[in-house]
Amino acid sequence: MDESGGSSDIEYTNIDAAADAIDCSTIFHLVTDIVGFILFMHQQIPSLLQDITLEFDGLRSEFKELEIELAESEPKAPLIRRKLAARKREVKLGIRRLEKLMGCISNLKAALQLLVAEVPNIDKISLVLGPSPLRPLHIFELNFSNGRPFLEGFSRSKTTETLSRKAIRMMISKGIGSDSYPGPTKLFLLVKAPSYLNLPLHFLPKREFRPNRKTKPFRLRFRCRTQNPEMNPQHNDFASSVKLQHSPSTDLICNETAFFSLFAAAEFTNVVRVFIELESKEFRKSKRRHLSEKPAPAKSSDGAKMKFQIEDITVYFPYDNIYPEQYSYMLELKRALDAKGHCLLEMPTGTGKTIALLSLITSYVLAKPSNPVKLLYCTRTVHEMEKTLAELRFLHDFQVKELGPSARILALGLSSRKNLCVNPRVVSAENRDSVDAACRKLTASWVRETAIENPNVPKCDFFESYEKAASDAVLPPGVYTLQDLRAFGKQKGWCPYFLARRMVQFANVVVYSYQYLLDPKVAGIISKEMQRETVVVFDEAHNIDNVCIEALSVNVRTQTLDGASRNLSRMSQEIERLDLNLNFLSLFLHKSFGIIPPVRRLKATDAGRLRAEYNRLVDGLAQRGDLPTGNTWLANPALPDDILKEAVPGNIRRAEHFLSVLRRFVQYLKGRMQTENVEKEGPVTFVASINSQVGIDQKMLKFCYDRLHSLMLTLEITDTDEFLHIQTICDLATLVGTYTRGFSIIIEPFDERMPHIPDPVLQLCCHDASLAIKPVFERFQSVVITSGTLSPIDLYPRLLNFNPVVSRSFTISLTRDCICPMVLTRGSDQLPVSTKYDLRSDPGVEKNYGKLLLEMASVVPDGIVCFFVSYSYMDGIVNSWHESGILKEIMKHKLVFIETHDVVETTLALDNYRRACDSGRGAVFFSVARGKVAEGIDFDRHYGRLVIMFGIPFQYTLSRILLARLEYLRETFQIKEGDFLTFDALRQAAQCVGRVIRSKADYGMMIFADKRYSRHDKRSKLPSWILSHLRDAHLNLSTDMAVHIAREFLRKMAQPYDKSGAMGKRTLLSQEDLEKMVNGVEEMVF
Amino acid sequence: MNKDANFLPESTFKISNEDSICRCIAHEKPKAYSTTLGRVVLDKEEKCLTKRLNTKIVFITQEMQRQRRLRTTTAARIQKGLIRYLYIVIDLSRAAGEMDYKPSRMVVVARQVEAFIREFFDQNPLSQVGLVTLKDGVANSLTSLGGSPESHIKALMGKLTSSGDASLQNGLDLVQSLLNQVPSYGHREVLILYSALSTCDPGEIIETIQKCKASKIRCSVIGLSAELYICKYLCQETGGSYSVALDEFHLKELIFEHAPPPPAIAEFAVANLIKMGFPQRAAEGVISICSCHKEAKVGGGYTCPRCKARVCELPTECQICGLTLVSSPHLARSYHHLFPITPFDDVTPSATNNPNKLPKICFGCQLSLLNPGNMPAPCVSCPKCEQFFCLDCDIYIHESLHNCPGCESFRHSKLVVA
Repeated sequence: MDESGGSSDIEYTNIDAAADAIDCSTIFHLVTDIVGFILFMHQQIPSLLQDITLEFDGLRSEFKELEIELAESEPKAPLIRRKLAARKREVKLGIRRLEKLMGCISNLKAALQLLVAEVPNIDKISLVLGPSPLRPLHIFELNFSNGRPFLEGFSRSKTTETLSRKAIRMMISKGIGSDSYPGPTKLFLLVKAPSYLNLPLHFLPKREFRPNRKTKPFRLRFRCRTQNPEMNPQHNDFASSVKLQHSPSTDLICNETAFFSLFAAAEFTNVVRVFIELESKEFRKSKRRHLSEKPAPAKSSDGAKMKFQIEDITVYFPYDNIYPEQYSYMLELKRALDAKGHCLLEMPTGTGKTIALLSLITSYVLAKPSNPVKLLYCTRTVHEMEKTLAELRFLHDFQVKELGPSARILALGLSSRKNLCVNPRVVSAENRDSVDAACRKLTASWVRETAIENPNVPKCDFFESYEKAASDAVLPPGVYTLQDLRAFGKQKGWCPYFLARRMVQFANVVVYSYQYLLDPKVAGIISKEMQRETVVVFDEAHNIDNVCIEALSVNVRTQTLDGASRNLSRMSQEIERLDLNLNFLSLFLHKSFGIIPPVRRLKATDAGRLRAEYNRLVDGLAQRGDLPTGNTWLANPALPDDILKEAVPGNIRRAEHFLSVLRRFVQYLKGRMQTENVEKEGPVTFVASINSQVGIDQKMLKFCYDRLHSLMLTLEITDTDEFLHIQTICDLATLVGTYTRGFSIIIEPFDERMPHIPDPVLQLCCHDASLAIKPVFERFQSVVITSGTLSPIDLYPRLLNFNPVVSRSFTISLTRDCICPMVLTRGSDQLPVSTKYDLRSDPGVEKNYGKLLLEMASVVPDGIVCFFVSYSYMDGIVNSWHESGILKEIMKHKLVFIETHDVVETTLALDNYRRACDSGRGAVFFSVARGKVAEGIDFDRHYGRLVIMFGIPFQYTLSRILLARLEYLRETFQIKEGDFLTFDALRQAAQCVGRVIRSKADYGMMIFADKRYSRHDKRSKLPSWILSHLRDAHLNLSTDMAVHIAREFLRKMAQPYDKSGAMGKRTLLSQEDLEKMVNGVEEMVF
Repeated sequence: MNKDANFLPESTFKISNEDSICRCIAHEKPKAYSTTLGRVVLDKEEKCLTKRLNTKIVFITQEMQRQRRLRTTTAARIQKGLIRYLYIVIDLSRAAGEMDYKPSRMVVVARQVEAFIREFFDQNPLSQVGLVTLKDGVANSLTSLGGSPESHIKALMGKLTSSGDASLQNGLDLVQSLLNQVPSYGHREVLILYSALSTCDPGEIIETIQKCKASKIRCSVIGLSAELYICKYLCQETGGSYSVALDEFHLKELIFEHAPPPPAIAEFAVANLIKMGFPQRAAEGVISICSCHKEAKVGGGYTCPRCKARVCELPTECQICGLTLVSSPHLARSYHHLFPITPFDDVTPSATNNPNKLPKICFGCQLSLLNPGNMPAPCVSCPKCEQFFCLDCDIYIHESLHNCPGCESFRHSKLVVA
């Protein structure tokens, strides 16, 4: 984009200041000048900032004069008065036109002034121009050399004047564009500085600013005279990063409040928003850990635990009591295991699914040790993984106590390097990909080979000692959480990640993430060698179809293509380097590094390596098995059965040829993405058009990924995070080449919500969830899919295309009616409420929703969670509540927190929400269905006494991907569009409201606020545990009735209750009860 | 010194004295009941149906009360705190003006608090009560600790308006600073009647709760609308009880549960001697300056045995020398909490089948135990003296008298025989 500005690339443009040091006022004036310049150059403001200021002041003074004149001219002729009044109106119009802009700019100035005065040391100021700071059009970075004493006052000095003139001249000479963009463009001002504790409260922390790589920043550095001129940028960076580690720093946003900034952004187009950013990691770490109440029945650490028979299996259950539904769950599960088939079980949250599963399966293994041999337990998040392992440990301790050491098993969790690495240098990298790359830099086989000869090459001590221990490096039996693995690794000095990866083959129980089984790229490495006699459990699997689809979908944007071309050019450089002859290389190495490499090493490094690879490929041994083990980090994105076991086609065997193929492919994609219209086509036509236009046939495409993998290994590339782009492209190529059905390619030139901003995306979307999960069903004898919400339970087998031997839905047995679902169809004025498209922007509906929340806030204690159908709807309705004052009324009762796109901001909001609930202030959390919060965060106990679902969370039905998928589902599985949409929306709704009940001792209300919920076809798709508590009287409520019911319900629930349910319904069974029950009535009634 | 030596004999004497008084009352009270019964009989021809209904209702309520009492008095002998310093915190925030209780929450609360204060002093004559209100985000001390029910009730009734937010923290801070001054042998308690559903605090309330816990204040909360986490936490931490009222009747029940003294906290369980004075009543017509009101008063009043100052009412603490002043009936009335009467057994109809053993009259009120038509009415018997009582007497003995007439008279007759 900004080629001219970014041509200086990593280099800094230096500007030397005449003064000894740059003080605060200089920075302030410099920044305001540059902001004015940029705004003007990018046509965000009509004329120069100074001119505008002058004009504005002039207009204002004229207005005042006119006013006075008008007042004085009372007795004068009406003609003059009319003239004056007309002039006054004109001036007023002019003022109003400029007022908003001037207001923004003066806000910015004030904030900047405050920050400059408050923060001792500013490293960098970035100006980001674009629709959002994450997707910028232009970035300008101003670096300041250190050492500036704080001087009082912000007067403009002469040095400042010259400096800013210099800077602007420099920017003009570098050709900082003078282009204009249609649509809303904002200027973000981000300040990076170390934070300290007593910063004023209105600076809110913000995470590290990291824009996409597409845009190259224009870097400007101001140096003062006294500075050491030899300091290079790298050094500077390093110094600052060291410094940052010492002083925990925080990202700050400066604005009125974070909450209202949201509306500000929505309102203006040419808003100058001020984000003042400091950066922090400390902050995330200090996130309070919330210990949730254990869902399982009353636990006492000692005393009798349960041991009972289910048919021919003795089940060890580590608690004193068991819920009846847990028992029947185990019974069904056992039958499924007996039948060696797959099963689908729905049981509400808070009934102890996890322990029932673990307890039955481990007991089953103990009783029949040959079959099954292994349990693979898939969870969605690391947090759930840890929870599962903790439960398992509890169970394991009990079993060992009962049966002695023969019951010992090995159970461990497996996660990414980010979560398991103990090497302090590696784990400090910020994201997952860079941790992986950092690890590879230390552990790749060629790096280690080099390290043997040159001790200066860094390597990982943990990995080295793990390798040295070789087969001795084993985990003794026991249950290991990630934490335990790290501790064990540290203690032994072995790398926990590689240790865990190896021990997965031997472990009895492995707990890991869905991706390890479903994503073929990962599964190929990790889950390759699992036996058939394995039980696979997918916990919380209500979204499993989406996970499957995502595993096989690829998105390509322009920056991916740019990155891919960069990667390609680097690879060709590498190849050229390798092609240099041996002598020259030796000379080169000797001269530049002072190393005299031995002949053996050189042989491996030179062109011979490429030749060797070529020969290997000719022999058709390109499969992974042939390459050095330990380096297997790329696997085919297609499913194992679909990979052809044959040699790589001849025309891409040579590295140069392969690169040129890729180059042509990238070029082709670039061409396709320049389209003006939305295009949609199947993989077959896509491949055909590739073949005709750039001459790449299907077979070549299919082998792209393997070939790239092989090439990258040959070229000994370790910084894999840099090469993600080309990997994505090859992913796309291989998938397109392999599959002809169930996919479609959609090219959208812009985002539909913002049609003015060109943002082309090429999506390869998979429509068939059964593709990714098929190998899992085929490879393993039993697959258990379980969740709290799987209704309607007959749809999942159709979506995933398998035949379960057992599919059951269990209800929750409760001692009291501790959930109270309600369907609210009317507001207090008896008008229907709905988020239907024609009704959603109706002010009456918005008002009624607001009233509902307000009334509820006044009768419900502690926490209320509200779910909206989308971010845009939430923005709109909250905005209108704010305008009509409802929000203020709500704030009288409870504090309001809001979920945003930004993860850190949301975490902060959640944290404060919990604090407000803890300290009795009460709070409301606004969240979005399908958002992060709806999926992973629990609002149990007082954190969520009430959840309100505003509307039905249908997917965005005009999305091309969805339309394509619906069409596919209709054609292939005969699932009607309406059915699928309703199913998907209601599963989301159930997921949202299910957040409030996490255990039986808990209680909560759920309000479905939409008139459409009262219709049978919608309602009946809710899970049975909600439906069984939804009384007919609660199906058609208005706000005042709902409030009355809420009051009564909360009073009733606040009464003390007997956990075991001594009166009437029994929900906790002791061992004797269970035996009695089994002997008496064989069939349980549920 | 001399007075302390007198302490024990005098109190025991007084107890036996009290017994005789109680016996007298025992014979008066059932009479009141019998008159109402008589009236029912009179109206028999006219309101046959109503009567039956009435008696049935009476019976059911009696039975319910009995059941409840049986449940609470099962644990036989627990050490209990007899000297209690209780602050009642009343929430008069915006939420207290709500009308879900008729006529409004605060009126209902005030009414119940009034009844509670009377009942409280009846059961705990040695204890003291103070009132605190929460309003507009601040806490006000309405009355300081004192032993006179009337002054509290008067102060409370005058201040019934609601506004603003409630701040639990401010309330606790105030109560904590006030209760820190009371002597260490006293049991510090707070009873919070909380209408609001949130608390608007100036600082970290968790710290305040920890402070309360450290100064061993037992905090109990009665909510009027729904369960609030912070209240639950507070009660859990400080060993109090948390309950939420369903309606006015339930609210009364919940408040009255706080009238009998709670079991002593382990730290207080060590027995220690407390210096107490038993002042004499001044002669009628004597004019003296009262130390509590600082004005000259005629007649009545008591004289502190140590410093001879005049105080108006008992129990109190002497303003001059700080001695706790009580009268012996106060001690005696507190005494029964420590030695409750064993609950009476139900007499099943099968046991009464034997016409010889069939009880004819109640030993307490001497009225017939037979319903009209010679049907045996439900009755109970004392497990010790095996005398029969009617249900009215049962309730009266356990709730007011705290002595079993059967056992007492049996002991006396034995003494006489010996």
